[in-house]
Amino acid sequence: MSPFGALALLTAAIAGALLVHHLVARPPLTLATRLRLLLGLGVFPFLCAVATTGSGMERTTEREFCGSCHVMGAHLKDVEDPNSESLASRHARNPMFGGHACYTCHADYGMLGYPMTKLTGMSHVWYYYGGGYRHWPLDKFLAEVRVAKPYPNANCRQCHSGTLTSFKDAKEHRAMARELEENTVSCASAGCHGVAHPFSKRKDEL
Amino acid sequence: MKLLAKWPSEKAVRFACLLGLVALALMVAGVLLGTSLPVVASMSVAQGIGVLAGLLYVVTVAAEAARK
Repeated sequence: MSPFGALALLTAAIAGALLVHHLVARPPLTLATRLRLLLGLGVFPFLCAVATTGSGMERTTEREFCGSCHVMGAHLKDVEDPNSESLASRHARNPMFGGHACYTCHADYGMLGYPMTKLTGMSHVWYYYGGGYRHWPLDKFLAEVRVAKPYPNANCRQCHSGTLTSFKDAKEHRAMARELEENTVSCASAGCHGVAHPFSKRKDEL
Repeated sequence: MKLLAKWPSEKAVRFACLLGLVALALMVAGVLLGTSLPVVASMSVAQGIGVLAGLLYVVTVAAEAARK
């Protein structure tokens, strides 16, 4: 458990004990009672909320979190398969990605990248619980659902910067420099480095 | 001021305690379960309920002060 998680549990326990004590003992609203309630309804819950937010934000970057919705089960299974040759799995085996592989690749970067990524993630939760994906069988999901917008090459280039000679010297990169820059051709497409999650694509998409 | 004079302080504080316990339970569930819905609820609904509980407490303190 993360330090944020431990702090959330500790502060919740203290606040909970103060509130239960008030409900059971029903003391008169003296100054001492009000101070105890200030701790139980103000100070400790506030600390708990801050710690919960920190813990939650951390948790939402973990691979297991993304895989906790059943429609992501195949993606999680592939990424965790040590024998898989998919682009996603090969990247996930890199310790720099590891347990945060989904977030590392799919996070938007730039000044507003973090909150925008979280907002997009919220829409996924909405589609899952409010849009019916929760009740979809995996086959139907894989056949019908596609990434919301083209995967940005800029995300690949966070690591593969494109400034090294070995990158620039590749004739495919030279020939398609403009398309790569404009994101009209994806690094992770058939004919280039291959799609990241090939099991989720129809044959005509590979 | 009339509303504050009639404010049922004892009941309001007990209700605030109940709301506070619900909020804390949701936050703890988010930390312990770690799946999408509990985590999102712990960062949104739980904190909204917690703020409501805190507001009830503040109004009660204000009502007690107004009575005196």
